[in-house]
Amino acid sequence: MIRIIGVHKWLGGRPVLSGVDLDVREGETLAIMGPSGTGKSVLLKHIVGLFDPDAGDILVDGISVPSADRAEMAAIRTRTAYVFQNSALFDSMTVRGNLLMGLPPGFCRGRAARCEELVRAALDHVNLDPEVLTLLPAELSGGMQRRVAIARAIIGKRRYVLYDEPTTGLDPVNATRINRLIARVSEEVDATSIVVTHDVESAFFLADRIALLSDGVVAAEGTPQQLRETDNRAVREFLDAAPARGPA
Amino acid sequence: MKAPNLLAVPGRSARAAALHAGRAGMLGIATLRALAHPRRYALETVQHAKFIGLDSLPLVLLMGALSGAVMAQQTMYQLSQGLPREIVAGGVVGGMLTELGPVLTAVVLAGRVGAAIGAELGTMKVTNQIDALLTMGRDPVVELVVPRVVAGTLILIPLVMLANAMGIFSGYVTSVGILGLSTGEYVDGAKGYYHHGALIFSLVKAVAYGFAITFISSHVGLRASGGAAGVGRTATRAVVAIIVSIMVLDTVLGPVYKTLT
Repeated sequence: MIRIIGVHKWLGGRPVLSGVDLDVREGETLAIMGPSGTGKSVLLKHIVGLFDPDAGDILVDGISVPSADRAEMAAIRTRTAYVFQNSALFDSMTVRGNLLMGLPPGFCRGRAARCEELVRAALDHVNLDPEVLTLLPAELSGGMQRRVAIARAIIGKRRYVLYDEPTTGLDPVNATRINRLIARVSEEVDATSIVVTHDVESAFFLADRIALLSDGVVAAEGTPQQLRETDNRAVREFLDAAPARGPA
Repeated sequence: MKAPNLLAVPGRSARAAALHAGRAGMLGIATLRALAHPRRYALETVQHAKFIGLDSLPLVLLMGALSGAVMAQQTMYQLSQGLPREIVAGGVVGGMLTELGPVLTAVVLAGRVGAAIGAELGTMKVTNQIDALLTMGRDPVVELVVPRVVAGTLILIPLVMLANAMGIFSGYVTSVGILGLSTGEYVDGAKGYYHHGALIFSLVKAVAYGFAITFISSHVGLRASGGAAGVGRTATRAVVAIIVSIMVLDTVLGPVYKTLT
């Protein structure tokens, strides 16, 4: 379980997070939704220790991320996988090299056949042909890069998969494919997923629960149905302003 | 009207320099600590040694050859009046081993390797690849910095030695072919000047410059920010910082030569 407790963060002289409280339950898919610039990605980065909060705490399976020592941080990071907004594939490595990086350091030493099996399985999960294994990220389309990034996140069978704006920059067809892929993969690998997005359709399609971040705090939280029916002003404003993209 | 604070700018610069020095110190400690696990970076080190060493070799040899030829001519024109002509060989050997060989090799590598490492790590930083490494439980120092620093530090030794050899050989060709020295005069002059201390000094400089080039470019690259323009600035900053460091090291290492002779 992941617990975010009263997290405050200032960046560039302004408050980005002003006391965020949020629990992520085991096995669920939580979407963190909100307009651009409200600190959704910043919040996600706190969970894997890329940012330290100015105040508050983040607990991953009971371990405090901000005060974790090297061993504890290593333990947290072997349980979490992070899919970056721009995929963040290693551009000097082939797709195979990128996927192998998703496994724990040293895992493949003396286990080449097992690792190759895992690479092919991960690729199969995201519907990519083994021919792409020898390609460099620059030789892939944006949608394929995003799929490789997801494959890299799930290859190590991590307990928590964090998606940072997984459909941003993709055309509607590819965005829909990625949403379906995330939904299927989350089920297949039995992971707890957190999806940060400003795309309302993605959030409602993927999430068991949605949290709306506004003005640095969680303005509303609930199931997709509860959020659709709420009178909460922040939710209504955000949903009414969101452009329709067609069915996910 | 509020009086301008004349100390504000130097104060900010001093603070930024101190911050940089602190961060470089932290990276240095992390790099030294990571050296204890050679299995984790050995393969990468070999690949970087090829890029830093083998791919730079033609340029390094060319620079060595040209500097040896220049050294022979200038020694002849400026110093040989009233002195035995063998001094030309002494000038070439001494100049190549103690200054031109190591410094020019380092300057070539600052432009070729320092800029490449700065830009590569800078790109990785601004495209979240460094963050991706961290989230996978991997240490960017072990994965990225140590292989480059070890490769650069080790590979500069043979590169500098080859530049020295090329410079001494081209000094010989110039002395015999253009300046009218005999082979005997050049060899006698070279033997008369040569001593192991100069060679060791050359090796010490090679190690120091190899470390400086790769460490500084890695440090600057890992601090990159601001997209494509930021990466460009990072590459420039890396080259400038390396060249300044080479000259500072050249000055600081001067007294070492005295202890070796």
